[in-house]
Amino acid sequence: MSEFGLVALLVGALGLIAIGIAGLVLARNLFRLVLALAVAEAGANLLLVLAGFRQGASAPIIEGGSTLHQVAMVDPIPQAMVLTAIVIGVGVQALALALAVRAREAYGSLDMDQLRARMEADIIAAAGTAPTTSQEAPSGARPLPPPLPSPARIAAEEPSS
Amino acid sequence: MIALTVALPLLAAFLLPLLPALARQFLGPLVLLAVAAFGLCLAGNALDAPSVVAIGDFRPPLGIVFYADGVAGLFVFAIAVVTLLLWPCATPNGQPDPQITRKHSLTLLMAAASCALALSGDLFNIYVFYELAAVAGYGLAAGSRTPAAQVATFRFTLLGSLGSLLALIGITLIYFRAGSLNLAHLAELAPSTLHDPLGLAGFLLILLGFGVKSELFLVNSWAPEVYATAESRVSALLAGLISKLALLAVVRLLVLVFPVPEASQLLLVLGMLGILTGELAAYRARDFRRLLAWSSIGQLGAAFVAFAIPGPAGLMAGIAVALHHLMVKPALFLLAERWGGNLAQLAGAARNSPIAAALFVLFALSLIGVPPLPGFWAKYLLLSGLAGEPAGLWWLAGLVVLTTTVVEAVYLFRIIGTLYGHQQGSVMQSRTATTGSGIFALLLVGTALSAPLLAAPLQKMATQLADTDGYVAQVISATITAPQRSGTAP
Repeated sequence: MSEFGLVALLVGALGLIAIGIAGLVLARNLFRLVLALAVAEAGANLLLVLAGFRQGASAPIIEGGSTLHQVAMVDPIPQAMVLTAIVIGVGVQALALALAVRAREAYGSLDMDQLRARMEADIIAAAGTAPTTSQEAPSGARPLPPPLPSPARIAAEEPSS
Repeated sequence: MIALTVALPLLAAFLLPLLPALARQFLGPLVLLAVAAFGLCLAGNALDAPSVVAIGDFRPPLGIVFYADGVAGLFVFAIAVVTLLLWPCATPNGQPDPQITRKHSLTLLMAAASCALALSGDLFNIYVFYELAAVAGYGLAAGSRTPAAQVATFRFTLLGSLGSLLALIGITLIYFRAGSLNLAHLAELAPSTLHDPLGLAGFLLILLGFGVKSELFLVNSWAPEVYATAESRVSALLAGLISKLALLAVVRLLVLVFPVPEASQLLLVLGMLGILTGELAAYRARDFRRLLAWSSIGQLGAAFVAFAIPGPAGLMAGIAVALHHLMVKPALFLLAERWGGNLAQLAGAARNSPIAAALFVLFALSLIGVPPLPGFWAKYLLLSGLAGEPAGLWWLAGLVVLTTTVVEAVYLFRIIGTLYGHQQGSVMQSRTATTGSGIFALLLVGTALSAPLLAAPLQKMATQLADTDGYVAQVISATITAPQRSGTAP
């Protein structure tokens, strides 16, 4: 592979990671979030393989035991690690999708913002606390100043004094 | 014996669903008891000389090693004991749980992965076992089966996977620069290859990645959601145990491979922010579980600050803070099984369950750091370690720790005041939760009484953990000269 190809692959790997992380931050649909994770993991795996790449080397497979020490090979350790990482990634993505299905069954939505709001509401309802407040939406009773005496009451009180 | 601490729970986890019902009840606790015994032996032996096992007789740096020093042995023991105390049993309402075997399997998986995290001396192996513990944690967190728990666990899974991804990229960077994954080998190579911006970026990525589980600032947003929706025992396991093991993995990397000021200052700043955000949010919390979650973030921030202090003093403080938190936080989460929810409903709860209330007072006093209790010694070690460093960020961290202690005292005493209020209480504490946290309380008091005796072994453990040259020599030489020892690997 040429120098240019290597650089292109490196840029591609970093680009995939960037796209994936951007997706994780920006997406709201649960399925898209899992897809973004898959894209980012693909990028990381590609980066891992590239870390063990050597210019002009062959695949690290020994045939008959005779080619050892004769042909330059790429580093086999990152390739073994990538296999592990892929398997772990697939398992976690399947788990995340199963959780997304359950969340959709419970709340009828796949939108992260809606789900999060419903979850917060559920937690608050289960705990029995007042909703968390913000400056825009203060909650609870405010200590109001005592009501001003109305003119009628002043008129009624005056003759008695 | 070292490898058995990982292999036994792992095997039991997969055998459990296949066994007859009676054996299912006892296999898990028996295995954990065995692991606890192994851990105690390991810690005892390792105080004299750490032992090393090369898995499958493949010698490092290519092979994978398990390295058992005093800290690792102690953590293996702690994992087994805490998991045993938090063993999933009936639901809080007292009904039998149909999913109980799955939960037992997942808990055993988590224990096995945690032991391996404490022992492993290989970066990629640490990553794999971290993932194993994480996945078991996702399964357990979703185990309460409420809709809110599913959403919270989904968010936890996403953040956790993002963390693993960052850690994997970090490991790639380190491998790319140094060409090895063995921690001892990396320690030798680090000064020439890794102490540059690219190597430090790798450390930062791994720190952020493993920081997800150890509730590091920036990546801890899952904690209040998961701890509020998961079962209390699961929250106790995640907050008490898994966070410490992820922390230990980061500390090994910091001590062996990145003993540079930039790395420890990174830990210091992130830890300080963790203390501030955690304790201030806990002050505002109105829900017992969330309060515990936020205060746990604060406590782990203190552990990060302690481990940031270079040298054995910092490591000793870090171990003390971590062990103290390991004893106190699971006990408090056990109490939250019934007391979870609005703090206002705890009014007068001390009349209904005086023992549980007294236990809460004990744990609260230890968290604040009242002198005879272990919390005091942990904070004392932390503050004296910080004071021993040159002024600047270190003293600022000391100031942060002292100030947040006041905040801690305010919110904990507020709960104590509610507990012993005049009203007639409405909630009763369950007997199992009281017994469980009572055992933790006995451990705590025992630690307090034997504090002078414990100081010397703790000091030795910290020195051992800080001894990079010893680690390298042990791993490289022991596996070459003593094949009969490495033969015990499965």
